[in-house]
Amino acid sequence: MIDLKNDFPILSKKIYGKRLVYLDNAATSHKPSSVIDTISDFYRSDYSNIHRGVHYLSEISSDKYENARKKVSKFIGTSDPSEITFTAGTTDSINQVACSLKSILKGNEVLISGMEHHSNIVPWQLAGAKIKTIPMDDECNLLVDSIEITDKIKLIAISHASNVLGSVNPIKEITEIAKENDIPVLVDAAQSIQHLPLDVEEIGCDFLAASGHKMYAATGIGILYTSERFSDIMPARGGGGMIDKVTLESTTYLSPPLRYEAGTPNIAGAISVGAAIDYMQDIGLDKIRRHEHKVYSHARKRLLETDGLKVYGNNEDMCGSISFNLDNIHHYDTGLILDKMGIAVRTGHHCAQPLMGSLGTEGTVRASFALYNTKEDVDMLMEGIEKVRMMYS
Amino acid sequence: MRDHVQDNIIDQFHGLEWLDKYGLLISFARELEPLDEKFRTEEYSISGCQSRVWIRTYTEGGRLVIDLDSEAMITKGIIYLLMKVVNNRSAQEIVDIDLYFIEEIGLKSNLSPARADGLASIIRRIREVAEKEVN
Repeated sequence: MIDLKNDFPILSKKIYGKRLVYLDNAATSHKPSSVIDTISDFYRSDYSNIHRGVHYLSEISSDKYENARKKVSKFIGTSDPSEITFTAGTTDSINQVACSLKSILKGNEVLISGMEHHSNIVPWQLAGAKIKTIPMDDECNLLVDSIEITDKIKLIAISHASNVLGSVNPIKEITEIAKENDIPVLVDAAQSIQHLPLDVEEIGCDFLAASGHKMYAATGIGILYTSERFSDIMPARGGGGMIDKVTLESTTYLSPPLRYEAGTPNIAGAISVGAAIDYMQDIGLDKIRRHEHKVYSHARKRLLETDGLKVYGNNEDMCGSISFNLDNIHHYDTGLILDKMGIAVRTGHHCAQPLMGSLGTEGTVRASFALYNTKEDVDMLMEGIEKVRMMYS
Repeated sequence: MRDHVQDNIIDQFHGLEWLDKYGLLISFARELEPLDEKFRTEEYSISGCQSRVWIRTYTEGGRLVIDLDSEAMITKGIIYLLMKVVNNRSAQEIVDIDLYFIEEIGLKSNLSPARADGLASIIRRIREVAEKEVN
């Protein structure tokens, strides 16, 4: 077992006099010192605007920004950094795609899973598309064989891993079906990029969206991968930094990725993503995955063997999040009591109300893990759950 | 202005650890008469709360009666206290009341609109009902 807590300053904080057990990583993860230092050093010694200046600091900042883009592109398996756009987050990435594809989507359909985060539902509705869902079994596993493709479906948008259940969806099988029918696929990787190997070329998707803040980088920075075949779609936003020539009659645009990055981007945020990737790679991605798998399996096992507790979802492949409820105890009460024991979990619908409907509940308690969590954290959670139960007995 | 109902509540919570405070709220929740099923509907619910909260109000003998219920026990415990403090008063008194006990028993942070328990929404709704009654 590895223990990386010392790399994360905030994790030594005491909450209500107790050691912090942070299990809300699907909402956001904490930052290692190396990422915090990178951001701080950047502002202290290198900061300037990018791509515009001829001066020294501008060149350094531009290099660092573009270097971060290269790191992201390698990290998700594309050899071409121009396929990576920096956005404000997963939600922004998906909204930008929805806006760019609006003319195709309007009046047509987007096929999603029934476990999507609202950010992979609402943008399509705003673009004027109807939502169709892939059928699921009782344990919320997608029934890929039951997918019915029609001419109306213009996009498949699917989460790689569920932010509620932790189930990993068979995205490769889905992209194969999509390819046979010439339908583009967007993968929402917000809950997988920090846990699973990602290779967009192997997956065969056209778009992939992820957030920096869930993968140990800063908030307000996101990633959007766009495959070459969509490299000429219209940008969702216009402004400085993305144009080739502007006249009062018409405008021509730069090539990707700059075409999709109007205005001054989140430069420090992008650089922090590069630093977070360095941090993970220095530890070793395989090592992280093995460790996370052990902690996740331990949590699942302990929760499943607890009487009077329902765990939602069951998939061969799971990571990150586990959702549960204690019999006859409201998820909100459970979360409040755990909080006062220093244990941070998330409660509620987790921005996945349609899934809550399928699960037959208003909300769940969600424990979600990151590379710094340990089996001891899981055991503290279980002690907390026992305490909650005692308080209700 | 201080009143003995709120002062009494503050005394009960004085010196308690957080988990004991929650324990006390849970015991209060158990004493709260549940709202009739016919009022536990969307129409009577207060939005902005992570656990569903329902409110039913009516006047009785010149007094405004506020009945609240929630599906979460800790919220229900807080509701029990709120009802104890605001009921048996005129609408004008409810409009004017300073709910100082919330801060003094350590629940001040629960009053933030960002908090999931929606205590701020519950209090806002109580005041709205009272103001309507006054006007």
